[in-house]
Amino acid sequence: MSVPILKQGDILIASIQSALSDRDLVELRDELADRVGRLRSRGVVIDVTALDVLDSFATRTIRGIAYTAKLRGADTVVVGIQPEVAFAMVQLGLSLEGIDTALDLEEGLALLHAGKAERARRK
Amino acid sequence: MVNIADQSPAQALSKEMGLTEAAVERRKRIVGLDGRDLERISSIKDLVLAHTEEYTSAFFDHLSSLEEGRVVLANRSVAERARQLKREHLVAMVQTDYGTEYVTQRLELALLYSKAGLDLRVFLAAFHRLLESVGATIMKHFEREPNAGFEAFMSLKKVAFLDIGVIADVIIFERERVIRQQQDAIRELSTPVLQIRERLLLLPIIGVIDTHRARLITESLLSAIRANRAKVVVMDITGVATIDSKVANHVIQTVTAAKLMGATVIVTGLSADVAQSLVVLGIDLAKLNTVGDLQGGLEEAEYLLGHRLGSDPSAGYGTPVTRT
Repeated sequence: MSVPILKQGDILIASIQSALSDRDLVELRDELADRVGRLRSRGVVIDVTALDVLDSFATRTIRGIAYTAKLRGADTVVVGIQPEVAFAMVQLGLSLEGIDTALDLEEGLALLHAGKAERARRK
Repeated sequence: MVNIADQSPAQALSKEMGLTEAAVERRKRIVGLDGRDLERISSIKDLVLAHTEEYTSAFFDHLSSLEEGRVVLANRSVAERARQLKREHLVAMVQTDYGTEYVTQRLELALLYSKAGLDLRVFLAAFHRLLESVGATIMKHFEREPNAGFEAFMSLKKVAFLDIGVIADVIIFERERVIRQQQDAIRELSTPVLQIRERLLLLPIIGVIDTHRARLITESLLSAIRANRAKVVVMDITGVATIDSKVANHVIQTVTAAKLMGATVIVTGLSADVAQSLVVLGIDLAKLNTVGDLQGGLEEAEYLLGHRLGSDPSAGYGTPVTRT
């Protein structure tokens, strides 16, 4: 099951629809890293609303995606972490430190746009 | 999936009490019911079946002779149903098939007693009267071989004690239901999550935080964040008298979990004593966004949300401004 990646302006949206195997996650990472450069994206949104579990590998891969994207010039926001998932992650000591998180897709996009506005002001 | 509405109250109760096949087997082992008992019970099957009416009367006569026992008999339809179930019970007792189905059937009668408010001691007395009457007919039948009679009666008694165990558990379980409901209510009351304004939640914590409560607090906060689409949460711990490393850890966990859902948590109300003891304990709260008191915390939250308080009269309260 591969993850659809949608392009919305200069933002890429990866919407995970069902539980992913480790291989799917690695594929997603590679695909996003490729597209960020090719499409000159400034932001990546990873939507995990549909997931009811995020294990250590998934967390690590998502962190990897975020750092890779950062190096290629795009900010990453993880959106839609469910309350149960958030709680389980904290209990397991998994963290997404250094990565922005938002409640849902809408909030995530707003966060990316706010970041873009800030950059524009600094120039 | 089984529809809950299709279940009888007894079936629902059986599930709630966890009376699975394994649990019933365990209960049978506890009373020591084995294959030899089943054989002996089969040998007295017809004898018991012939006298069920008599035994049922022994039980209910004793109940009606006691003031405490009349609660079951006060309502005619209830009394009738109880009698019928008791008869079925006696018939089932000698069928030598004591599985989950057998136990679930007993639950209906137990529920009836429990609803009528029958005391356990009264029930036990009446049940003893019933056994006495059963014992009498058995001993009479086995006049020539009293040992065999005694053994058969003892085997049947094991089944009776299996039933008593179940019925007593139901009566106690139902009585404790009220306690459980109250505990739930207290727990809910103890962790309110208040919405102060759009996207801003207040989480006042009062009293002792243990692991269980910390979990509840985190859970209710996380679901409130989703329900209210909150961006900022002010967690006020003025009412928490002492903070040790465990509590601090709980607070950090809650904050981290909220962060994962995209909400910022501001912790307020750390008193001087608490702050000092945390420093002495060497707990790193640097990750936390702390503000001295609730007022300061709310101001900080407003700022994060992009509202300015009172500084610009023409703007009015709560007008969004762009942060610079």
